[in-house]
Amino acid sequence: MKLNLDDMARCLDLPVSTVDRWIRQGRIPIHRSGNGCIFKKSILEKWAVNHGLRFSLSNEERKKELNFALTNLLPAMQLGGVFHDIKGDDVKTVLKSAVDKVPVLSINKEELYERLLEREALTSTGIGKGVAIPHPRAPLPEETDNSLITTCFLEKSIAFEAVDDRAVFVMFILLSTSIKNHLHLLSRLAFCVRDDAFVEFLRTYPDTSSLLSKIADCENLLDKADHN
Amino acid sequence: MRILSRWRYPASWTIFRIDDRLLLILIALIVGTCSGLAAVALNRSLIAMFEWLHYFRHYWWSFIMPAIGAALSALFLDKMVKEGAGHGVPEVIYSVSRYGGLMRFRSSFSRLISSCLTIGSGGSAGPEAPVVMSGAAIGSNIAKLFSLNDRQRVTIVGCGAAGAISSIFNAPIAGMVFSIEVILGEWKAVNIVPIAIASVAGTEISRILQGNQIAFSHRLFHINHLDIVACIGLAIISAAVSVLLTRFLRSMHRVSKKAPFPIWVRAAAGGCAVGIIGLFLPIVLGEGYHPVRTIIEGAFTQGFGIVTLAVFAKILATSLTLGWGGSGGIFAPCLVIGSLAGLTYHRGLVLLWPSVSWVNEGCFALLGMAGLISGMLQAPLTGIFLIIEITGGYEAILPLIIVSVVSTTLCHYIEPASFYLKELVEKGQLLRPGTDARVLSDLSVQELLEKDCIIVKQNMLLRDFINIVKKSHRNYFPVEDERTGHFLGIIHLDDIRSYLFNPPMYDAVVLCQIMDTNVEVIYLDDDLSEVLRKMDMNQLFSMPVISNKKFIGMISKATLLDNYRKELMVQTDL
Repeated sequence: MKLNLDDMARCLDLPVSTVDRWIRQGRIPIHRSGNGCIFKKSILEKWAVNHGLRFSLSNEERKKELNFALTNLLPAMQLGGVFHDIKGDDVKTVLKSAVDKVPVLSINKEELYERLLEREALTSTGIGKGVAIPHPRAPLPEETDNSLITTCFLEKSIAFEAVDDRAVFVMFILLSTSIKNHLHLLSRLAFCVRDDAFVEFLRTYPDTSSLLSKIADCENLLDKADHN
Repeated sequence: MRILSRWRYPASWTIFRIDDRLLLILIALIVGTCSGLAAVALNRSLIAMFEWLHYFRHYWWSFIMPAIGAALSALFLDKMVKEGAGHGVPEVIYSVSRYGGLMRFRSSFSRLISSCLTIGSGGSAGPEAPVVMSGAAIGSNIAKLFSLNDRQRVTIVGCGAAGAISSIFNAPIAGMVFSIEVILGEWKAVNIVPIAIASVAGTEISRILQGNQIAFSHRLFHINHLDIVACIGLAIISAAVSVLLTRFLRSMHRVSKKAPFPIWVRAAAGGCAVGIIGLFLPIVLGEGYHPVRTIIEGAFTQGFGIVTLAVFAKILATSLTLGWGGSGGIFAPCLVIGSLAGLTYHRGLVLLWPSVSWVNEGCFALLGMAGLISGMLQAPLTGIFLIIEITGGYEAILPLIIVSVVSTTLCHYIEPASFYLKELVEKGQLLRPGTDARVLSDLSVQELLEKDCIIVKQNMLLRDFINIVKKSHRNYFPVEDERTGHFLGIIHLDDIRSYLFNPPMYDAVVLCQIMDTNVEVIYLDDDLSEVLRKMDMNQLFSMPVISNKKFIGMISKATLLDNYRKELMVQTDL
């Protein structure tokens, strides 16, 4: 096979100068011809294993990294769905009926409910201004492939032991695949909620499409701030 | 044209691409033959020169002949080929350890000519080291012709040296062992096989051209238990003589360097002194194989006093020749001095205990040679195999081993580095494969550079800086001048952590006020051993790298360890 030096170095996950020197010193089973590296794949793979190095021709590693890339609010909310008029008089009943709405079939609803309650027992997830973000304590990588947020507008506001003691009228149930993703979504959601205008908008119990477009606007703002 | 040029890249031929061993063996064959030829050529021209100058040796002015020879050799080396004087073996080892065996083409003949002038005219030196140098250079240039890589070239250089020694002594095992033990310092099958082939080729060439003769044949020895005990004393004496010779050679070198004359005048002065010694003790002149032969045969008749004197005279003559600018090796002088020392020891034993029936003096002379070679080179195997092969004296193997190892051990105790390696060790340039020094010298600062640091400007406010901290993976932030781009200092997160949580400071502080300007920096061409020394001295774990006054990256111990380990695994486990 033939690769140029830069690609070779990337496949081996080494600096270009190291690969160049190893070829010159004859420490690696590769031949140079001009800027090309001629090698036999099976031999090089065996050599890499013997020397504790990684050698992968394809972009598998990069694909994996893409999988680990963080999910943004918009896709998570699209996946999770938006529901109105969730019934219930206290935290338990509200959560119970909200969990039933979560649109992912592979999740065991009963177990999820237990886990959300367990988390609520620790401290309330009501973050103030009438918003709560119930979530399980640990991420759910087995149960779901993608992180999701299910938005539930309650039929009537209930006491949630929130930090500011205000009654909660909307819950974002946050289910994530990894802790990193969880933190990412949580921080983005918190950024939106910090904006009083956004909360006022939520109080109008908007429908799915207008909520999602509002979220998209908020995220654009966030991305812009990050890039500066 | 393409087809024509393909023969120069045999490494890319299909049969050699998978495994280069066959290729190395083929090239080793060529190199062994060439270096064997070089050795035979030098040997023949020495004999011719000796015969030609023989008529003049009876005149009273013959003592200036070594002077003329040494001066011509020094002039040739200095003016024509522009190489330093000396015997060449350290140069070969240096090129193997530092430049992957790259040597100049002219090295393949320069030492042959200069040593021929020095030795042929009567200077006290040996033809072996020059032959090793030219064999190695021939190997290196053939490897270059075939575009081999560094590892293969080093092996081929070893083949050249092995072929040369094998050919000049008609001693294939000694050539192999010398090349591996002294030149390469690495016992591995990938080296040993081609070197063995080259040794065979070199020996065969010399046998075809000069006949299969044992250099120093001898009578049969009958060795008793008492002789084996006595040889320990000989080992001690030969170790002492080796150390003396080493010290003499080095001090002569130092003295001559201080002399305010051009190099050829110095060489002439040294040669002249040798010539004067030679007037009284002709044994010191030339490479001295003839007297060795006489001694081994037991036909050397002079008494204890003369022999002892001859030992010191030969040491003096050798150091005068080599230390003052003549050209040649120490192999042959070692053999002469060793045999004389062995003879002295034997004469002493007979004087002290006349009633004991000792083995004949030839045997002790032979043991003395082994002791001196092992002591000087600190290479016991080379000593043992060389002496066995050049004398055909396998029956003396037991005392031979004892003398070799004891002498090596004692010499190593007094002089930790052998004569060949001493200069390299002092300069820190002896880099044997798989050692710490070798790994560090192969890795470069460029390869370890971490470029994921975010560079900040000196007039940036702390508030803006906090946004950068959010995004960074690193704890270090290099600060540069926004106008010139020059590196000014570095901000370490640990130092400013308390300010980060103090909002009133955000708009009050600019970065140039909180950066650390007193930082140790590294330059791109710094040696890694130096970098590590700096890190240890200041207890740092990472340091900024500066090139052209600009920041280009960081070096950290963590990355260094990572790459060090990779390098070590790749180097040691081929």
